[in-house]
Amino acid sequence: MAETDRPTTNQFMSVEQYLETAESLKWLLTVAWLLPLLGFAVEIFGGYWGDRHNKVASYLAVGCIGTGFVCSLIALFTWGGATHWGHPEEAVAAAEHDHAHDEGHAHDDAHAHNDGHEHDEEHAHAEEHGPEHDDEHAHHVNDPYSAAFSGSYYMLGQFGDLTVSLDYYIDGLTIVMFCMVTLIATCIHVFAIGYMSDELTDDYEDHFVHLPGGKHFHRPGRFYRFFAYLSLFSFSMLGLVIAGNIFMVFVFWELVGVCSYLLIGFYVERKSASTAANKAFIMNRVGDFGFLIGLMILFTSFGTFRFANPHPTERAVEPGLFQMLRGEHGDLHIHGEGREAEVFLTTATGDHDKSIPYWLLVTAGLGIFAGCIGKSAQFPLQTWLPDAMEGPTPVSALVHSATMVAAGVYLAGRFYPMFTPEVLLVIAYVGCITLFIGATIAIVATDIKRVLAYSTISQLGYMMLALGVGGWVAGLFHLITHAFFKSLMFLCSGSVIHGCHHEQEMTRMGGLRKKMPITAYTMLVGVIAISGLAIPYLTFPFIGNIAFSGFYSKDEIVATALTHMSLNPVHFLLFLVPLVTAGITAFYMFRLWFMTFAGEPKDEHVYDHAHESPWVMTAPLLVLSFFAITVTWGMQIDEEGHLKPGYLVNALLTAEPAHVGEGLTEAGILGLSLPGHHAVHEYHATAGTAALIAAFAGLLISYLIYVNRAIDPAGIARQLSGTYNFLVEKWQFDNLYDAMFVRPVHIVARWPQAFDRNYLDGFLHALCRCAVWVSKWDRAFDERVVDRLVNLVGDVTFAVGRSLTVIQTGRLRQYVMFIAVGVVALFALMFVFMPTL
Amino acid sequence: MSDVVLLSLTIFAPTLGALGLMFFEKTAEEAMRIYSLVVTVVTFGLTIVMLGRFDPSLGAAEYTVAFQMDSITPWIPAWNINYQLGVDGISLPLVLLTSLVSMLAMMASWSITKYVRGYLILFLLLETGMLGVFMALDFFLFYIFWEVMLLPMYFLIGVWGGPRREYAAIKFFLYTLAGSVLMLIAMLMFYFNSAGSALTNYESSFDLIKLTQLAQEGGLLNREVQLIAFILLFIGFAIKVPTFPFHTWLPDAHVEAPTPISMILAGVLLKMGGYGIIRIAMPLCPYGAQVAAYTLVAIGVFSIIYGAFAAMAQTDFKRLVAYSSVSHMGYVLLGLAIWQVDRLTGATTNSDYWHMGINGAMFQMLAHGVSSAGMFFMVGVIYDRVHHRDLNQFGGLMQKMPFYSAIAVGIFFAGLGLPGLCGFIGEAFTVISSWSYSKVMAIIAASGVILTAGYILWTIQRVYLGPEYKGPHPEALTPANSRENTVAVVLLVLAIFLGCYPWSMFSLMDESTRLLTESLAQGYEALHETVEQVSSVTTGQ
Repeated sequence: MAETDRPTTNQFMSVEQYLETAESLKWLLTVAWLLPLLGFAVEIFGGYWGDRHNKVASYLAVGCIGTGFVCSLIALFTWGGATHWGHPEEAVAAAEHDHAHDEGHAHDDAHAHNDGHEHDEEHAHAEEHGPEHDDEHAHHVNDPYSAAFSGSYYMLGQFGDLTVSLDYYIDGLTIVMFCMVTLIATCIHVFAIGYMSDELTDDYEDHFVHLPGGKHFHRPGRFYRFFAYLSLFSFSMLGLVIAGNIFMVFVFWELVGVCSYLLIGFYVERKSASTAANKAFIMNRVGDFGFLIGLMILFTSFGTFRFANPHPTERAVEPGLFQMLRGEHGDLHIHGEGREAEVFLTTATGDHDKSIPYWLLVTAGLGIFAGCIGKSAQFPLQTWLPDAMEGPTPVSALVHSATMVAAGVYLAGRFYPMFTPEVLLVIAYVGCITLFIGATIAIVATDIKRVLAYSTISQLGYMMLALGVGGWVAGLFHLITHAFFKSLMFLCSGSVIHGCHHEQEMTRMGGLRKKMPITAYTMLVGVIAISGLAIPYLTFPFIGNIAFSGFYSKDEIVATALTHMSLNPVHFLLFLVPLVTAGITAFYMFRLWFMTFAGEPKDEHVYDHAHESPWVMTAPLLVLSFFAITVTWGMQIDEEGHLKPGYLVNALLTAEPAHVGEGLTEAGILGLSLPGHHAVHEYHATAGTAALIAAFAGLLISYLIYVNRAIDPAGIARQLSGTYNFLVEKWQFDNLYDAMFVRPVHIVARWPQAFDRNYLDGFLHALCRCAVWVSKWDRAFDERVVDRLVNLVGDVTFAVGRSLTVIQTGRLRQYVMFIAVGVVALFALMFVFMPTL
Repeated sequence: MSDVVLLSLTIFAPTLGALGLMFFEKTAEEAMRIYSLVVTVVTFGLTIVMLGRFDPSLGAAEYTVAFQMDSITPWIPAWNINYQLGVDGISLPLVLLTSLVSMLAMMASWSITKYVRGYLILFLLLETGMLGVFMALDFFLFYIFWEVMLLPMYFLIGVWGGPRREYAAIKFFLYTLAGSVLMLIAMLMFYFNSAGSALTNYESSFDLIKLTQLAQEGGLLNREVQLIAFILLFIGFAIKVPTFPFHTWLPDAHVEAPTPISMILAGVLLKMGGYGIIRIAMPLCPYGAQVAAYTLVAIGVFSIIYGAFAAMAQTDFKRLVAYSSVSHMGYVLLGLAIWQVDRLTGATTNSDYWHMGINGAMFQMLAHGVSSAGMFFMVGVIYDRVHHRDLNQFGGLMQKMPFYSAIAVGIFFAGLGLPGLCGFIGEAFTVISSWSYSKVMAIIAASGVILTAGYILWTIQRVYLGPEYKGPHPEALTPANSRENTVAVVLLVLAIFLGCYPWSMFSLMDESTRLLTESLAQGYEALHETVEQVSSVTTGQ
């Protein structure tokens, strides 16, 4: 492909401004990233040698992550100022560069719409790209690199042309994630000061550990350790987000994994906790096995791990993965058909001298996605997440709902340019299956945290589905909104658990809204948000629609899914299942709220002792509920049902991969079409209405069962006992995996042991016995044959000598006679044998 | 101090120290221990001086291998045997590892109370043998040091070991001796075939540098003989690594050896196998190495999986760690052997990835030296207290010995290959680079990460977590003392340092491994071309 001359200014800013912004963003985010690590080091050592009643560790942790949030916020505004919040036309007003391409605005642009379709078709059989198309495209294609900054921290290894280093990559997505993670983490750190306060003692009694004597287990409190782990986790999570190459993502991927292991197993004395921690880590490793295969393929084919290497003036000097794989407009250079198909890569020289077989690219994408499956608890590796609820509730809120488990979705979004349509289809189906499984199990769960855990699985499935059906922004948008309302709900459940003295069964709660109003109503905010309830067609000045954040993001997802179905009718399940599940979601979330907070108390003992949590715990709830409502600020649905993106969506849109905005038609081997922005736009109103109806239906059923009591849930459970038990047994996954993997592995593990003992050592011992046997023979031969011969000779000699003593008489006459006889005999013999002489 | 004096002093400082032990009172055990520790510290200091003098950027000109501080002194002129020493980027990191692990093992030797003087003398002799192996550049000298190291080890296991010590010691001795014999045969093959070149002045030679150059030109052995020589050498060294199926001496030797000796065994002795392959077997038989590459990779990968499964089935804590060594050393073999050539031209096709694999393998040796020595030490600390190693009779150590347990978990995570700790870099780099050689092998090797996580986490759960200790002598579980903590903390800090900043080691070895790959590639190509020519001549007729 011909190199297009690029202007010295990109669409947002001049070169000087770019470099300046890059430098300040780098420092801000690096400080935000590394502060928690510093905090960890001080907390873990200071806490170990310090006083167990001391809260300093928590203040330090909050200080570190809070400062990180401030840095992220400054970074957000720096970036927003430089990029004009994703409105390039405000930045470059000059007429000669009419880069009015911003997707958010392109919706209103009928001309762009038509254009888009024409180009879709050209892309579809994208085998050749003349430069003449490029100019036209440039107006409609998002250039994600113009608002992105990358660079390198330090080198891990260099081998010839291959370099492995720690890099950073900062774009709109990175910064939004930073703000989200640090803000939520700060709230949760503050909450944890209250929640974990019973650890501030020298003698903590663990009611869940029973010693043989019937007593409870006692140990010193571990307040400091909890905050140290949280800090370490924050560091790892931020490292994962700022990572500029896929190898570094893997590094921090594992580190968040081990932090999760430590936090799930925080109560190390509880067997259930340590088992859950092991399960989480090992199941993640199963996913990471795939991740590793993806890494191998990519590194061998591309020779680099870096995502992209944006440069203000020229096309990248050392192109990253995305730049090598996709052209400037997000197109693949595919040559050949079927199994022979190859994708040509753009290298630093601009030539296509490298290529990767298409199937290998698909495999690499699936491999990386396998990692995402593990981390984001997707089918079939979802079973670790509910067990992970063994950890303290702030951990569930931070690690197992808002940040770490969303990392899989984040990576799928970050790595989007590397995914072919086939991989996206797999992602969509995995998400679809997961969201259904999670939601159905949540219906029957009675442990308040487990309901939330299954809901998390289900919502993560929604995000994956969104990414899979081509809704890049929709998926990541839901990631952000979900992080707020789900962490809010987990903290609320934490407040309930704290208030009810570690009671987690919803069947023993009820009526708690009178005892803990703040918790109850902030929780309600979360429930409404996740259910996607809203009154969207009333628009107020300044406020806009009456809708919480979850409504918009879910709306986006369902709309994209519907558009996807209209393009690929075969995959209708990808729309129907999420639509139905939207209803189920509203049902089980309201079920949770009704069972816990509404109605009459079911257990007087629990109710009497319940109390509202202190301010240090309720304040974060208020903050989070504020954001659960307003994080989508600026978003609106107008009278015709068209969506206006808010600040958050605009910020995400700047990072959207170039090929997403236009969609694809009949791409890849399967001939899959992906919806572009314009197409989704068309279906928005329909989808939104359908989702809303589903959600209200769920709410209604829930109300009828749990408040109005028009329907008896126990009766339904009895009637459908087969299904009910199947759901209570979590679709039998745990039992299945135990039979399929855990037990076989333990059996197989005995084989090498036995082989070593019986065969290798057996052979060796046999060899040794042989040697001993041979040497015994040797000895016997020596003793019986050789020695006997020698002895015989000796004996004979001795006997002859002995017998000759007879003639040793000492008489001279006799001797002379012997000599004479001897001489005569000699002569006689001589004459006999030599007669000729 | 001239280079030859520095190197000789480093090698023989422990021996001189051992002589000094004669002057102590028999009862002054504490003094002897402190004195020996000082000797190992001095030796470590000397290796640091070597590091200071070493210039990693000095990749020497075309034909010379990047040896530095090298020297030749005639030793047995009649046989052209020289006292020839030197280090390069491959041996220097291992020399550092040896002196460091020896120092830490000496600190761990306070638990030895039987025949202290004899123990210390043998220990120091052992260190001389090990250092000598890594610095010798004359094959004969190498062989001598190899054997020197064998005897002290035999006695250290056989006298100071556990209940089945005689069995373990004899097994170790026989295995190693079998390897030595094979090596001896190969050595003589090289010796008597080296006389035909101007490089060696038409004399038979044991000079490893010259032999390497000769092999690089394709003038040392012909193809069939090279293959035989390579197989002999490989089996000799594979016993030491150890790889399947030559590994069964290792669990026994480890289980019976006293803690410090286990540390040395795992930390240094196993590395000699890898070092032998990379220093002798491959450079001297490039053709043989290339022909056998797939077998080597397969053996390495099989060892990874086999060792991991075997580790999972163990109930003896030390045996588990021993089998984990088999698994981890498999990565070394994998990284070294992923050498892909073009079948037609004989040119190396994946030189950068192979280079990465060799560096990864070298790093894995260092990382394993740190982490497995640490793991054995951690086992030793509790064995000294409760005198059993049954994994099902532990639990709750986190309560009784919190600081020790935290460090132990850190070191076990290093063994698990957690990023940020040393084990990860070696494993990840070898596995990632292996895709360019064989996809199937790479996938099998990568699956090892699941098994490794499985057995290590399960071990941690059974030993350190849980509410209470389930085995005998609970009263003996006192927190680790400061000497034990020092050893453990040093190892953990090293694990973190290597894991976070691997370039510190890669930068040392990079030039040498690059030269090695180039020399091997040339050595193979030289013979490969000959094959082509021969076949073209025959077809021409």
